[in-house]
Amino acid sequence: MKENMKKIEEMTRHSIFEVFNKMFFLFLEPLDDKDNGYDMEAAIRFEGSMSGEVRIFLSADIVKTMIQNMLGLAEDEITERDIEDSSKEAVNMIAGNFLGKLDSTEVFNLSMPVFKKQPGDLEFTENACRMDFDSDGGKVGVIIAVNGYP
Amino acid sequence: MSFNVLIVDDSNSMRAVIKKVISISGFKMDQCIEAGNGKEALEALAENWVDVIISDINMPEMNGFELLERLKGDDFLRDIPVIVITTESSERRMQDAFNLGAKGFIKKPFSPEEVKKILYEVIGVNDEGEYEEDRGDDKAFDF
Repeated sequence: MKENMKKIEEMTRHSIFEVFNKMFFLFLEPLDDKDNGYDMEAAIRFEGSMSGEVRIFLSADIVKTMIQNMLGLAEDEITERDIEDSSKEAVNMIAGNFLGKLDSTEVFNLSMPVFKKQPGDLEFTENACRMDFDSDGGKVGVIIAVNGYP
Repeated sequence: MSFNVLIVDDSNSMRAVIKKVISISGFKMDQCIEAGNGKEALEALAENWVDVIISDINMPEMNGFELLERLKGDDFLRDIPVIVITTESSERRMQDAFNLGAKGFIKKPFSPEEVKKILYEVIGVNDEGEYEEDRGDDKAFDF
């Protein structure tokens, strides 16, 4: 199980880098220390031959930077709706990208992403892994849980 | 020559990004119409003519596959080329979209170059935005 989670962690890490680099023009640095100072959360579930959930935790400053970089808006033009939409879109893209890497021949059904203004519990079980990143624009954390991975 | 584009995505931010990426790519866009799901897209198409539709798959109320089915079954709308733009990147999902009539497929995250390339291919225009003389039937549509 531990070895499989390593593979999943590596694939997820690549997906996170790809999404943040390509869509939000942010270069992330992995953090060794776990940070619990996040301000919001977005999550999405997937089902197929395997099932699970991807949760992303964002600091308020990184969401603003993501939106500014992606939409070219000034800070005072950013709305609550932009924050929710961008957070949900980020977790949607990370999950889709990761599942394509996991098995591009398999169809996975993705739920509609959900957004929480307050991040939930950052604890995770043995079939999950957690990654934390820093950037010039702020911090992001990701927890991915996978059930049924052979 | 410039084109009318319908962007269908439930995320305001993603619609804005797609619109921005199309502008950055140099694609000549005249009117850009936005819809939050397949149902809203059909309502918009009842009142506006568009040259190309760019649609997400995973949307509430009416998803992208249902929209493709409805377009395929409509004599007036079936020839409008549809590009599916989605995070879902499985080969089977892509084939499902093509079987339902999609002409192009863009995976999120995407770059302006990718979007421009697919848009031009699907509409059948060259780099100057002019129609190519020899258009394949699968890339063309009749006015």
